Parts: sequence; structure tokens; C-alpha cells
Amino acid sequence: MKGAKPMISKPQKRISQKALTVWRISGVITSLIGWLITAAAVFLLHIFDLPGWISIILIVLAVIFPVLHIFLFPTLRWKSWRYEVREEEIELEEGIFVKTRTLVPMVRVQHVDTNQGPLLRKYKLASVVVHTAATAHTIPALEETEAEELRFFISKLARVAEEDV
Amino acid sequence: MSKPKRLHPIASVLSAGKGLKKLLFPLIALIISGGSEGKISLLITLAISLVAVIISLIIGVISWLRYTYRFEEDELRIEYGVFVRQKRYIPFERIQSINLTEGLLQQMFGLVKVQIETAGGGEEAEAVLSAVSKDDAKLIQQYVTVAKTGENHELKDEPEGQIVFSISVPELMILSLTSGGVGVVISAAIAFLSQLDDFIPYKKIFGDLEKWAVHNIIALAFLVFIGFFLAWVISLAVTMLKYANFNVIKTEKDLIISQGLLEKKQITIPLKRIQAIRISENIIRQMLGYATVSIVSAGGSTANEEESKVILLPIVRVKEIASLLKEPLPDYQLEPALSSAPKRARRRYILRIWYIVLPIVAAAIFFFQTWGFFSLIILVVGTWWAILKYNDAGWSLEQQQLCLRSRTINRTTVFMPRKRIQSLKLRESYFQQRQGLGTLEAFVKSGAGDSWIAVVDLERSDIQKVYQWYSRERQRELSS
Repeated sequence: MKGAKPMISKPQKRISQKALTVWRISGVITSLIGWLITAAAVFLLHIFDLPGWISIILIVLAVIFPVLHIFLFPTLRWKSWRYEVREEEIELEEGIFVKTRTLVPMVRVQHVDTNQGPLLRKYKLASVVVHTAATAHTIPALEETEAEELRFFISKLARVAEEDV
Repeated sequence: MSKPKRLHPIASVLSAGKGLKKLLFPLIALIISGGSEGKISLLITLAISLVAVIISLIIGVISWLRYTYRFEEDELRIEYGVFVRQKRYIPFERIQSINLTEGLLQQMFGLVKVQIETAGGGEEAEAVLSAVSKDDAKLIQQYVTVAKTGENHELKDEPEGQIVFSISVPELMILSLTSGGVGVVISAAIAFLSQLDDFIPYKKIFGDLEKWAVHNIIALAFLVFIGFFLAWVISLAVTMLKYANFNVIKTEKDLIISQGLLEKKQITIPLKRIQAIRISENIIRQMLGYATVSIVSAGGSTANEEESKVILLPIVRVKEIASLLKEPLPDYQLEPALSSAPKRARRRYILRIWYIVLPIVAAAIFFFQTWGFFSLIILVVGTWWAILKYNDAGWSLEQQQLCLRSRTINRTTVFMPRKRIQSLKLRESYFQQRQGLGTLEAFVKSGAGDSWIAVVDLERSDIQKVYQWYSRERQRELSS
């Protein structure tokens, strides 16, 4: 492995770059739904003659939200995502505003799933979900083949490492 | 091994009672609303209620008739179900724990309720035999020990082993006096009254009361006081009944906890299944130097919040915990030398509270003027709480154990062996990052909730120390 380092080194691997596209598309979809709801709300506010500033706030939000969720957040999120699966442990790092680093020892892994929604499937991506007895950890948007390999790799190691309890 | 057996007939009453409990409120509501509309409708509603009661009695009897259990091929085999017939076979060696409860009804007939749990946590215990003779209960216990250990020895009436803890009368008094049960009683009373909302003319009562109260502030204060006092007495009695005769015994492989006066309970916890030890202190107990020690155990049922927390020592002097548990739980080092959060974290603890409280105070002063200044009390209390939280935050590392302490309302200290920690998380928000601070979270497995603890705003280098300690590969890097 790597030589001894004084501080904790970051996990090395990144998730698939296609994740950006998927996240942007899902941002577009949520924005569309958001707009529909906003439109309905503004319409109702108008009918019931409620103060105009509420509508203005709603419309401003309806403009800001898509900008964040289609352009800004996917990029930041992708940049922040790192993971590493080694023989003895899995390490994840993520988070835009709050950076979270998670460590899961291989011996604690109970089972591994791969998930694939319609969007992920279209782009040949999949997420890997690692379950321990108490927690679940998701690595989103990996290349399909890589996800499969990872699942196989983890479940093999997890089986070897039965219980040292 | 044995023929199918039925439970004691009293089980039919028990299961009918369970059904009736669910019907209680609707029936009361029905009778009250029907009764207010004249004699005939009262009769009709009474008739409906009677029919409901009879039906649940009949269902109770049928479910008793259908419920059989037997011991066969090293399995406990249960068949039951009124509408849907079910069969459940549980191999003895898979049984994790057997809990015995004697409610009032069971005690009258010398019976016992047996709850059988396997490793799978779930809503309820895997099997509940609601009324069996004590001999049969013993038989099940014996089968299980034989299946697990392969040894065949007679089970004694009283579980054999070394006594870990046995509650004394003064301890029981302190426990009851300092329990937070008052709030529970009051909220239960409120919930009960609000159920009857539609039938009691609160508006009228309170309207009159208001007029009266304006003239009799002292009398009102007195009434409120009486109400609180009653709630407190009730909660006192409930706690005493529940924890009377509390007793912990350690056998070779299990901890056996028995407790209760009216309802006697016996819980068995395999030592192997213990995931962590949790010490919690509410403010009053902390001031008196007392604490409650509970066990985080894997498996067990989640249906009952109360039962999922296995209390090991309901009340104990903090100083004595380590010596009491040294022998039964040698893996735990319960006298931690905690390191606390750095000085600069205190400001963040206080600010976090102020972000929430200051706007409220500002709004209160803005809207209520002079009276609004009373909201400053919240600010003082909040700040005090924040400082308490800061003082209590702490961590310590032993060779094979991580100990974390933090306070929400109560101060909680959790002891986790390294091999029981399921995953570890460190978090840094933007502001924490700037100050070289971070949040540490650790997860252990438990049958129900409470499997997680976080300590906020620790020194980053400290957190990394813990991280390295937990990481198998980092440790190797260090040692090589």
C-alpha cells in the first residue's frame, strides 16, 4: 500500500463523471415539479387575494432552486465524492458544506447491494449500498461494470472475514 | 419429543383483554355520545358494546384453542392463528434469549409468560407463550441450554450464579424520587383527556374557571401544585413497583435480570450479545452522584421502547460502577480518563444555542415589550445548558475500547469495544474546518434505536487519532 503518512490521507477513487449528467437531469425533473407546485401556489394566492410578497418570494425561490440543483450542487457534490475499497475496510468521503468521512471495516459488512434507478440505468451506472448490522452506506453512480466488480469484491472479502467478535 | 400442548386457558382471557384494550376508547366514546341522546340510543350503544365485548371474548377463546406448542426434533414448534393459520418452528440453538414475565393474572394461577427471541430483531418477540406453567417454562429453558451447550444438567428454581447487583430500599427510593416519570404521567393524563375532547365541554368548564381563577390566583396555583404533586406520587409508585426486587445475576454465559413487584419480569441477556455499555445521568442524579447503567444488546424486539433498553443498574453511585461490573464484564474499562473538547469549542457550543434562542428573545421583546423580557430567562438557561454540554463532551481511547460522552438532556457516556463498532464517521462543517474542529460519530448494533453517539467539536487531531485507532490499515501503517 502507500507509505506511512503523518495525517489521514484522502480516499483516492472518484465516482463516475456521468454522475454529473444524471444529477443534473434529476435536478431538472425536481425543478419542473417545483415549478408546477409554485405555479399552482401563486395562482391560488392570486385568487384568494393574499399579499403579493409571498408570491414574489416563491418565484425567487423557483429561480434559485434550479440554478443550485442543476448547475452548482452536482459539480460540488461530484468533486467532494471520494471512496476507496481496500481489503480490510471501506472508506467514503463526501459532503458539500459538511464533509463526512466514514470508515467501515470489512469484517462488519453484512451484505452488499447494487441499485439502479431508470436514470442510472440509461447511463449504465449503478450505486453500491454496503450494509453493516447497524448502518447502510451508499456509493452513488459508479460505472455498471465497476459496481458489479465492487459488489463481488466486497461480498467475497466480507465472507472471508466472518466474525472475529 | 412431546405432544402438542395448549396454553393455560387463562390465555384466552389475556388475548381477549388485549383485543378489548384496543376497543376501549372507541367504546367509551360511543357510549358517552349515545348516552347523551336519550334512553333508546343509550340502550343501542350499550348493546353494541356488549356484542363487541362478547366477540372479543369468543375470538380470545378461539385463538387459545388454535394455539399449540410442542417440542420436537430440537425445535419449538408453534401453530396458531384464528383467520390465518400459522406455523412457526424455532430451533432451540437459535434462541438467543428467553424472557419471563409474570403479570397479576399469571401470578394468580402460578403461570408465566415466556417471550422467546432469536437473533433477528423485529417488531415483536419471535414467539410469545402468554400463559404456561412454570414447569414448562423451565423445560424450554433447559432444552435451550442443552441444545446450546450439549450438557444436560438440571435447572434450579433460582438461577445460579454470582449476584452482580441487588437494589436496596434506599436505592429504590432515590431511583423513584429522581426519575423523570412525572412528565410521562402528565402527558398520559393530557393524552387521555384529549381523547375525550368531544364529550367534555372544556370550553364551558374553562370559561367558568377563567372567571373564577382571575379572582383566585392563589387557589389556582394551589390546584396546579396539587396536580403536579399527584402526578409525581403516581410516577413514584409506578417506578417503585417496576424496579422493586431488581436483581442482576451473572451465570456462565448470560446476565439474568429480574425485577418487579406486581408484574415480575426476568430477562436473559447472553454476554456475547452485549454491544456496548451506556451510562446516563439526569441532572438531579448527576448532582447526587448517581447514574443509570444500561446495556446495548443486539437482537431483541423493538415493539416496546421500554423493553428495548435493557437496564442493568437502575441506580448506582457513579464511583461504584467500575468495581461492580469489573467481574461480570471484564472487557470493559469503565473508569475512563476523558479528554474534553478544546477551549475554543465552547464559543461554538454557546453560539449554536444562541442562533435559535436569540431570534425568539428578540421577537418576544419586540411583540410583548416589558413582558417579553422574561424570555431572557430562556437565554440564560440555554447558555447554561450549552456550557454544560461543552463541559460534558469528551472521549477516551483504551487499547480495545472507545468511550464517548455527550449531553442532550441527560449526560450519556457510551463504552464501545473496538470490535463492536460497526462504523465510524467524522464530520467537518465549513466553520468547524476553519477552527480545526470536527464531529465524531460511532455506531453500534442494537435491537432497537439508541445505537449511535456523536460528540461535537472535538480537536481535529484527536478525532484523527480515534480514526487511526479504528482503521485496521492505518494502524498497520503506523506500526510498520
